[in-house]
Amino acid sequence: MSESQEDKWGIAHVFSSFNNTLITITDLTGAETIVKSSGGTVVKQNRDEASPYAAMQMAETVAEEVKAAGIAGLHVRVRGPGGNGNKSPGPGAQATIRALARAGIEIGRIEDVTPIPHDGTRAPKNKRV
Amino acid sequence: MQHVKVPQDRIGVLIGEGGETMREIESRSEVRLDIDSESGSVAIESVGDPVTALVAPDIVRAIGRGFKPEAALSLLDDEMRMFDLIDLGDKTRNDNDLRRQKGRLIGENGRTRELMEELSGADVVIYGSTIGMIGDPEEVEAVRRATGMILDGAPHGAVYSYLERKHRELTSGPDLA
Repeated sequence: MSESQEDKWGIAHVFSSFNNTLITITDLTGAETIVKSSGGTVVKQNRDEASPYAAMQMAETVAEEVKAAGIAGLHVRVRGPGGNGNKSPGPGAQATIRALARAGIEIGRIEDVTPIPHDGTRAPKNKRV
Repeated sequence: MQHVKVPQDRIGVLIGEGGETMREIESRSEVRLDIDSESGSVAIESVGDPVTALVAPDIVRAIGRGFKPEAALSLLDDEMRMFDLIDLGDKTRNDNDLRRQKGRLIGENGRTRELMEELSGADVVIYGSTIGMIGDPEEVEAVRRATGMILDGAPHGAVYSYLERKHRELTSGPDLA
């Protein structure tokens, strides 16, 4: 695993909705998961799962394990709920990327992979904010 | 590379006097702004650190939604500051309803909007058919809830008391922890 150190890269898949944030770190193929974490691992209350604070704590623990696996840099794929739902990533996405960068992990490309419908199913009826 | 649409009358603000505002955004968030003043479309391209460039689209969008450049640039001051936008067009039935709800959100002589800013601590701007806010996550969340309550038809008094309660929570928070 750790023969060619310092130049190994991985991908951080960050799924961020208004209810939760999921971080999954994989290798470059995306097939092998190295670490994963979600909001529920760091906070007690359900409504805090999507908060930027939770995301930062998750990113810190994840960063440690990533470094232990000998990975120096991460490309980031951010994703919001998408589909016929909300197209923009939730509050946890930015916080995650910043916290990862601050934990000493090099950030490569940042890509938005939110699924955009090419006209799919009917949108849900409007809810009040 | 990202594109943001800015309404015609906000382009001047985005560029600033002699390009001042545009240059400040470019240098502070390490991006290059390509502003098409005909169509109002702004292309944002990261030239430096991709992490600092993350907020650039939000800054441009905030200025486009009526924020002062200083308020929008405050997004760069602190990592936790965030920008949120609610489209009132989605939440109202028709143009008449939109006008009525906007009036309710702004309040008599702007009282309601001012109270929302004062009690939550966030910046609140109502422009066109959107209400935007810039502040810490809890502040933004409080304004979001208050907006939802007003749109749901809650009396202003109930909204004010909700905001008062939030205000006490937010200001006394650090002492307890």
